[in-house]
Amino acid sequence: MPPRTPLTVTAKKLAFSCANTAAVLVALYIAFASNLERPYWAMFSVFVIAKPISGAVRSKAMYRLAGTLVGAGMALFLVPPLVQAPVLLCIATSVWVGLCVYGSVLDRTPRSYALILAGYTATIVGFSVVNRPESIFDTAVARVEEIGLGIICGAVAHSLIFPQSVTDELKRRVEAIVTASAQWISEWSSDAGRPVDLLAQQRLATAVTESHLLYSHVRYETSDAPRAHLLMRILEERVAVLLPRISGLQQMLAALSAVEARPVALPTLMATVSRWSQALARQRKLSAATMADESGLQQESTAALALLDRSAGGWLVLLEQAAIVELSELARALGDCRRLAEALEEGKLRLPASLENRARLSGSRALSADHGLALLSGIAATCATLLACVLWIGGSWPEGLVAAQFAAIGASLFATLDNPAEPILPAVTGILVALPFAAFYEFALFPRIDGFASLALVLSPMLLLLSFMQTFERLEGVALVLAIAFSGSLALAPSYQADFAAFANTNAAEIVGLLVAGVAILLLRTVDPLWNARRLSRAGWRSLCQLAHKAPRSFQWWLIQMFDRLGLIATRLVHTRPTSPASADLDPLRDLRVGLGIDALRKLEIPPDRPEARTLGAILEDIATMYEEKLRGHPGRAAADFAEHIDAGITAAWAQVPSAHRQAALAALTSLRLDLLPGEAPHLALWSPT
Amino acid sequence: MIGELDFFGVFVPSVLPLAILALVISLSLRVVLRRVGFYRLIWHAGLFDTALYLVTLLAFVLATRSVAP
Repeated sequence: MPPRTPLTVTAKKLAFSCANTAAVLVALYIAFASNLERPYWAMFSVFVIAKPISGAVRSKAMYRLAGTLVGAGMALFLVPPLVQAPVLLCIATSVWVGLCVYGSVLDRTPRSYALILAGYTATIVGFSVVNRPESIFDTAVARVEEIGLGIICGAVAHSLIFPQSVTDELKRRVEAIVTASAQWISEWSSDAGRPVDLLAQQRLATAVTESHLLYSHVRYETSDAPRAHLLMRILEERVAVLLPRISGLQQMLAALSAVEARPVALPTLMATVSRWSQALARQRKLSAATMADESGLQQESTAALALLDRSAGGWLVLLEQAAIVELSELARALGDCRRLAEALEEGKLRLPASLENRARLSGSRALSADHGLALLSGIAATCATLLACVLWIGGSWPEGLVAAQFAAIGASLFATLDNPAEPILPAVTGILVALPFAAFYEFALFPRIDGFASLALVLSPMLLLLSFMQTFERLEGVALVLAIAFSGSLALAPSYQADFAAFANTNAAEIVGLLVAGVAILLLRTVDPLWNARRLSRAGWRSLCQLAHKAPRSFQWWLIQMFDRLGLIATRLVHTRPTSPASADLDPLRDLRVGLGIDALRKLEIPPDRPEARTLGAILEDIATMYEEKLRGHPGRAAADFAEHIDAGITAAWAQVPSAHRQAALAALTSLRLDLLPGEAPHLALWSPT
Repeated sequence: MIGELDFFGVFVPSVLPLAILALVISLSLRVVLRRVGFYRLIWHAGLFDTALYLVTLLAFVLATRSVAP
């Protein structure tokens, strides 16, 4: 790695603000020098793409440019044929905005920004030329030029002046994920009664999704940032395994204590795992001692399993065996996480040998897509734009076009947020706060200055302040709104023209537009979090049904998507009362465990002509039926002979000669039985030891 | 390089196609250099990438000027 100039946090922030201010001024200068129509578009473009991480700046720049091109193209396509029919034009544009919002909510990666922009650029270009349609081409070109100028200035400035690589942030997050998981595992294994709380689920799953999104910027990083696709992909899968394993383990422990059994080897093994993960949480680099401990731990669990293999059969033995298998899988996954984080930290992207095999299995990852929510957001955006158009055309309000544009902008930008109505009020406040500043500049300062140098001088303090605000996570959104409102109301143009009526009218229209967007979103997209969690869970159940019916192309892919969904569900459930009966049957962790169990059974690869294969088929069939019943709204109704099938499976597996295969099969079947037939005492005949 | 190109009736500055070509070329150069491990020797990768692009663009401009002055 090249040595980057070390900077303290404040110095980094100051460097960022200076780079940003320089970019704005350069963009303004070029825009004035080449006589562009609206230099302020270039100005706020710089603010929009500004991010503390330079890779993120460049990716956003690319998406913004692409989106602007598509949107301007769409306006070119729509306006000339429809300009004589304003109603049709409004409907067509609104539907386009809605479509784009639908696509962007589905996507969920930074790429969605391109679609958002394609949507509302069409309104910005299209609506501003309805009175003089012959100028559509010039306006479209001007928009693309000015946005492009701002983007290029911003991207170049942020890559040249003290760039912050995305890799550092990524390493920091991955490190945090691994340390936190090790800490949790240590706590959970020392205190078995402690449930895996929703908050922990939510934090871990959200952290993984966030680092996935962060990693998507690496493609746009400067060329020295290491490309670690495989590493990240396996890391995500390994982290996703941790939570279901822990919760499965706890379930087995609870079942063990319910029958007041004294497990033989489990308590000591748990204590070992607890100590070991405690050590893991404290060290960034695996020490030789910890590695030795890890192999010792695996040997210990193998020995314990061998002991159990020889003992007489029974539910207790099954439970303990399954718990040990789960525990050793958990330790293995945690160790892998640490090794992967270490590989990322050191920048050597050769995978640890134990994980290379896994890399071949994993497919590419997509986040889970939510069609229902996307559709609602799309409809809300369409309605907001249409409503503002009605105000504009119906009210014969010349500035109404600005309201329509801002309705589209507001509805698109806020659609991807979880609670989209929330930022509308701060946005309106931002415009109101920026107004006096803009008015001061426009009517008190600008008449007294002449030339670009003095303009740069008077603008600099404000630009520096706004850029500095952008570096704080909490102020970022506010700063952006302020910057856009400020540059929008300044409306710097090649020649000075003060028109107070237009100034006030345009700003009022912006606020009306945002309010219309807010109302539409509030009406259409405010959904009960519990209902949303149920919808997401149902999507999970459907994909579980598919998993039970047919082996997916890549189980890792299925797992990561399910894990992402778990984060979304947990986020919704955290805010509802924990004991509410409606959420009782929503347990995304159980669904994940069932998926893991199904995969473990599939991995046995029983030849289809063996009788065991028929039993396995029946079990999978039962699981699918059970989840189908759940989807139909009868959660309690288990498939009638599921208990019979799974017990037959356990008996058949028990009769095999002791092997890792047999242990895996027994553990998977026991865990499935616990998950799907909770609280039901097994009617198992006692077996003699093999 | 002041000249304009007639692109289906739209006049674009003749540097534009060159700039796009230079972007494509320098992006692929960067991929190759990264594979080789060249970037371990670079202090400021952002600066290097920008410079690489400008050098490529200049090379194209000079080359076209010598072909069609």
